[in-house]
Amino acid sequence: MKKITLYALSTCPFCRMAKGYFDKRDIEYEGIDVDMLNEKEKEETIQEVQKISGRRAFPVIVIGEEVIVGYDELRIGEVLDK
Amino acid sequence: MREKILCPVCQVSFLLREEKKDGDEVICPVCGAVLIMRMDEEKRHLERPPDMDPEEEIRRRMDNFAKLRTYHFNQMKNPLIEGLLAKRERFGDFYCPCKIDHVQENVCPCLETRMGSVEQNGKCHCGLFWKEPPKNGEK
Ligand SMILES: [Zn+2]
Repeated sequence: MKKITLYALSTCPFCRMAKGYFDKRDIEYEGIDVDMLNEKEKEETIQEVQKISGRRAFPVIVIGEEVIVGYDELRIGEVLDK
Repeated sequence: MREKILCPVCQVSFLLREEKKDGDEVICPVCGAVLIMRMDEEKRHLERPPDMDPEEEIRRRMDNFAKLRTYHFNQMKNPLIEGLLAKRERFGDFYCPCKIDHVQENVCPCLETRMGSVEQNGKCHCGLFWKEPPKNGEK
Protein backbone atom coordinates (compact mmCIF):
# COMPACT_ATOMS: atom_id res chain seq x y z
CA MET A 1 0.00 0.00 0.00
CA LYS A 2 1.39 3.37 -1.01
CA LYS A 3 1.65 6.08 1.60
CA ILE A 4 -0.77 8.91 0.91
CA THR A 5 -0.43 12.43 2.25
CA LEU A 6 -2.99 15.13 1.61
CA TYR A 7 -1.85 18.69 2.26
CA ALA A 8 -4.96 20.82 2.63
CA LEU A 9 -6.40 24.09 3.90
CA SER A 10 -9.49 24.08 6.10
CA THR A 11 -11.04 26.79 3.87
CA CYS A 12 -10.55 25.05 0.52
CA PRO A 13 -13.48 23.07 -1.00
CA PHE A 14 -11.31 21.00 -3.38
CA CYS A 15 -9.30 19.92 -0.33
CA ARG A 16 -12.52 18.75 1.31
CA MET A 17 -13.45 16.84 -1.86
CA ALA A 18 -10.06 15.12 -1.82
CA LYS A 19 -10.64 14.04 1.79
CA GLY A 20 -14.09 12.79 0.77
CA TYR A 21 -12.57 10.80 -2.11
CA PHE A 22 -10.32 8.82 0.25
CA ASP A 23 -12.90 8.56 3.05
CA LYS A 24 -15.59 7.22 0.73
CA ARG A 25 -13.28 4.49 -0.51
CA ASP A 26 -11.86 3.66 2.92
CA ILE A 27 -8.39 4.54 1.73
CA GLU A 28 -5.98 5.35 4.50
CA TYR A 29 -4.22 8.69 4.22
CA GLU A 30 -2.62 11.34 6.32
CA GLY A 31 -4.59 14.57 5.99
CA ILE A 32 -2.92 17.78 7.13
CA ASP A 33 -4.84 21.05 7.41
CA VAL A 34 -1.80 23.24 7.04
CA ASP A 35 -3.57 26.42 8.16
CA MET A 36 -4.50 24.78 11.46
CA LEU A 37 -0.92 23.87 12.44
CA ASN A 38 1.06 25.91 14.94
CA GLU A 39 3.35 28.57 13.45
CA LYS A 40 6.53 26.52 13.47
CA GLU A 41 4.97 23.37 12.00
CA LYS A 42 3.05 25.49 9.50
CA GLU A 43 6.20 27.16 8.17
CA GLU A 44 7.99 23.82 7.85
CA THR A 45 5.04 22.18 6.14
CA ILE A 46 4.58 25.07 3.68
CA GLN A 47 8.28 24.81 2.79
CA GLU A 48 7.77 21.13 2.12
CA VAL A 49 4.66 21.72 0.00
CA GLN A 50 6.50 24.35 -2.00
CA LYS A 51 9.42 22.01 -2.52
CA ILE A 52 7.30 19.14 -3.83
CA SER A 53 4.68 21.09 -5.79
CA GLY A 54 6.43 24.35 -6.67
CA ARG A 55 3.43 26.27 -5.37
CA ARG A 56 1.90 27.59 -2.19
CA ALA A 57 -1.63 26.54 -3.14
CA PHE A 58 -3.74 23.56 -2.12
CA PRO A 59 -4.60 20.68 -2.19
CA VAL A 60 -1.36 18.83 -2.83
CA ILE A 61 -1.65 15.06 -2.77
CA VAL A 62 1.35 12.76 -2.50
CA ILE A 63 0.77 9.11 -3.36
CA GLY A 64 3.97 7.10 -3.04
CA GLU A 65 6.41 9.01 -5.24
CA GLU A 66 3.75 10.83 -7.25
CA VAL A 67 2.67 14.40 -6.58
CA ILE A 68 -0.77 15.62 -7.64
CA VAL A 69 -1.31 19.37 -7.50
CA GLY A 70 -4.97 20.31 -7.19
CA TYR A 71 -7.91 17.93 -6.94
CA ASP A 72 -7.84 15.66 -9.98
CA GLU A 73 -9.98 12.55 -9.44
CA LEU A 74 -8.84 10.88 -12.66
CA ARG A 75 -5.19 11.36 -11.81
CA ILE A 76 -5.71 10.08 -8.24
CA GLY A 77 -7.43 6.97 -9.59
CA GLU A 78 -4.64 6.36 -12.12
CA VAL A 79 -1.91 6.71 -9.56
CA LEU A 80 -3.72 4.46 -7.06
CA ASP A 81 -4.22 1.79 -9.74
CA LYS A 82 -0.58 1.78 -10.79
CA MET B 1 -8.85 65.84 -18.18
CA ARG B 2 -9.96 62.97 -16.02
CA GLU B 3 -7.41 61.38 -13.73
CA LYS B 4 -7.13 57.76 -12.89
CA ILE B 5 -8.34 56.56 -9.56
CA LEU B 6 -6.94 53.72 -7.46
CA CYS B 7 -8.94 50.61 -6.61
CA PRO B 8 -8.14 49.79 -2.96
CA VAL B 9 -8.87 46.10 -3.61
CA CYS B 10 -6.77 45.18 -6.69
CA GLN B 11 -4.48 48.25 -6.47
CA VAL B 12 -4.96 49.05 -10.15
CA SER B 13 -5.78 52.63 -11.22
CA PHE B 14 -8.54 53.11 -13.74
CA LEU B 15 -10.38 55.92 -15.52
CA LEU B 16 -13.88 56.67 -14.32
CA ARG B 17 -16.42 56.34 -17.12
CA GLU B 18 -18.74 58.93 -15.62
CA GLU B 19 -18.62 61.73 -13.08
CA LYS B 20 -19.25 60.51 -9.54
CA LYS B 21 -19.98 62.47 -6.40
CA ASP B 22 -19.24 61.81 -2.76
CA GLY B 23 -20.98 58.64 -1.58
CA ASP B 24 -21.68 57.25 -5.07
CA GLU B 25 -21.07 53.61 -5.80
CA VAL B 26 -18.30 52.69 -8.28
CA ILE B 27 -17.53 49.21 -9.63
CA CYS B 28 -13.86 48.54 -10.30
CA PRO B 29 -13.61 47.53 -13.99
CA VAL B 30 -10.56 45.37 -13.22
CA CYS B 31 -11.61 43.23 -10.24
CA GLY B 32 -15.32 43.98 -9.90
CA ALA B 33 -15.03 45.37 -6.37
CA VAL B 34 -17.94 47.45 -5.12
CA LEU B 35 -16.47 50.77 -4.00
CA ILE B 36 -17.66 54.12 -2.66
CA MET B 37 -16.44 57.48 -3.94
CA ARG B 38 -15.11 59.82 -1.24
CA MET B 39 -14.20 63.49 -1.68
CA ASP B 40 -12.06 64.73 1.18
CA GLU B 41 -10.73 68.30 0.85
CA GLU B 42 -10.81 68.20 -2.94
CA LYS B 43 -8.93 64.95 -2.99
CA ARG B 44 -11.06 62.09 -4.18
CA HIS B 45 -10.47 58.45 -3.47
CA LEU B 46 -12.32 55.15 -3.46
CA GLU B 47 -12.98 53.06 -0.40
CA ARG B 48 -14.60 49.73 0.30
CA PRO B 49 -18.20 50.06 1.50
CA PRO B 50 -17.72 50.33 5.27
CA ASP B 51 -21.17 49.10 6.28
CA MET B 52 -21.76 46.39 3.72
CA ASP B 53 -22.29 42.84 4.94
CA PRO B 54 -19.12 40.84 4.07
CA GLU B 55 -21.06 38.15 2.24
CA GLU B 56 -22.83 40.73 0.11
CA GLU B 57 -19.54 42.49 -0.62
CA ILE B 58 -17.73 39.37 -1.86
CA ARG B 59 -20.75 38.01 -3.73
CA ARG B 60 -21.22 41.26 -5.59
CA ARG B 61 -17.50 41.50 -6.32
CA MET B 62 -17.29 37.98 -7.80
CA ASP B 63 -20.54 38.42 -9.75
CA ASN B 64 -19.21 41.68 -11.22
CA PHE B 65 -15.87 40.08 -12.07
CA ALA B 66 -17.54 37.09 -13.74
CA LYS B 67 -19.70 39.46 -15.78
CA LEU B 68 -16.70 41.60 -16.81
CA ARG B 69 -14.84 38.51 -18.08
CA THR B 70 -17.85 36.38 -19.06
CA TYR B 71 -16.86 33.63 -16.64
CA HIS B 72 -19.26 31.19 -15.02
CA PHE B 73 -19.90 29.65 -11.62
CA ASN B 74 -20.95 26.15 -10.62
CA GLN B 75 -21.75 24.23 -7.44
CA MET B 76 -18.33 25.16 -6.02
CA LYS B 77 -19.48 28.75 -5.59
CA ASN B 78 -21.15 28.50 -2.19
CA PRO B 79 -18.46 26.40 -0.47
CA LEU B 80 -15.89 28.88 -1.79
CA ILE B 81 -17.85 31.82 -0.45
CA GLU B 82 -17.80 30.09 2.95
CA GLY B 83 -14.03 29.69 2.62
CA LEU B 84 -13.62 33.34 1.67
CA LEU B 85 -15.73 34.46 4.64
CA ALA B 86 -13.65 32.24 6.96
CA LYS B 87 -10.47 33.83 5.59
CA ARG B 88 -11.87 37.30 6.16
CA GLU B 89 -12.92 36.40 9.69
CA ARG B 90 -9.53 34.93 10.59
CA PHE B 91 -7.11 37.00 8.53
CA GLY B 92 -8.93 40.25 7.83
CA ASP B 93 -9.60 40.07 4.08
CA PHE B 94 -11.04 37.90 1.32
CA TYR B 95 -7.85 35.95 0.66
CA CYS B 96 -7.98 33.00 -1.71
CA PRO B 97 -9.34 30.02 0.28
CA CYS B 98 -6.90 27.64 -1.45
CA LYS B 99 -3.73 29.63 -0.86
CA ILE B 100 -1.74 29.95 2.32
CA ASP B 101 -0.35 33.47 1.90
CA HIS B 102 -2.40 36.35 3.18
CA VAL B 103 -1.02 38.97 0.83
CA GLN B 104 -2.66 41.52 -1.42
CA GLU B 105 -2.14 39.54 -4.64
CA ASN B 106 -4.19 36.68 -3.18
CA VAL B 107 -7.25 38.81 -2.47
CA CYS B 108 -10.13 37.41 -4.52
CA PRO B 109 -10.19 37.69 -7.51
CA CYS B 110 -6.49 36.92 -7.06
CA LEU B 111 -3.71 38.26 -9.30
CA GLU B 112 -3.18 35.04 -11.27
CA THR B 113 -6.91 34.96 -12.01
CA ARG B 114 -6.88 38.60 -13.12
CA MET B 115 -3.83 37.77 -15.28
CA GLY B 116 -5.79 35.13 -17.19
CA SER B 117 -5.36 31.74 -15.48
CA VAL B 118 -9.01 30.93 -16.32
CA GLU B 119 -8.25 31.34 -20.04
CA GLN B 120 -5.30 28.97 -19.68
CA ASN B 121 -6.73 26.31 -17.39
CA GLY B 122 -10.46 26.59 -17.90
CA LYS B 123 -10.90 27.63 -14.28
CA CYS B 124 -9.17 29.59 -11.55
CA HIS B 125 -7.08 27.59 -9.11
CA CYS B 126 -9.94 27.27 -6.59
CA GLY B 127 -12.64 26.47 -9.11
CA LEU B 128 -14.65 29.60 -8.43
CA PHE B 129 -14.45 31.12 -11.93
CA TRP B 130 -14.93 28.86 -14.96
CA LYS B 131 -14.52 29.59 -18.63
CA GLU B 132 -17.48 27.43 -19.66
CA PRO B 133 -20.91 27.24 -18.05
CA PRO B 134 -21.64 24.02 -16.12
CA LYS B 135 -23.05 21.29 -18.33
CA ASN B 136 -26.59 20.11 -17.75
CA GLY B 137 -26.77 17.20 -15.36
CA GLU B 138 -23.24 17.76 -14.17
CA LYS B 139 -23.02 17.56 -10.42
ZN1 LIG C 1 -10.16 46.56 -8.36
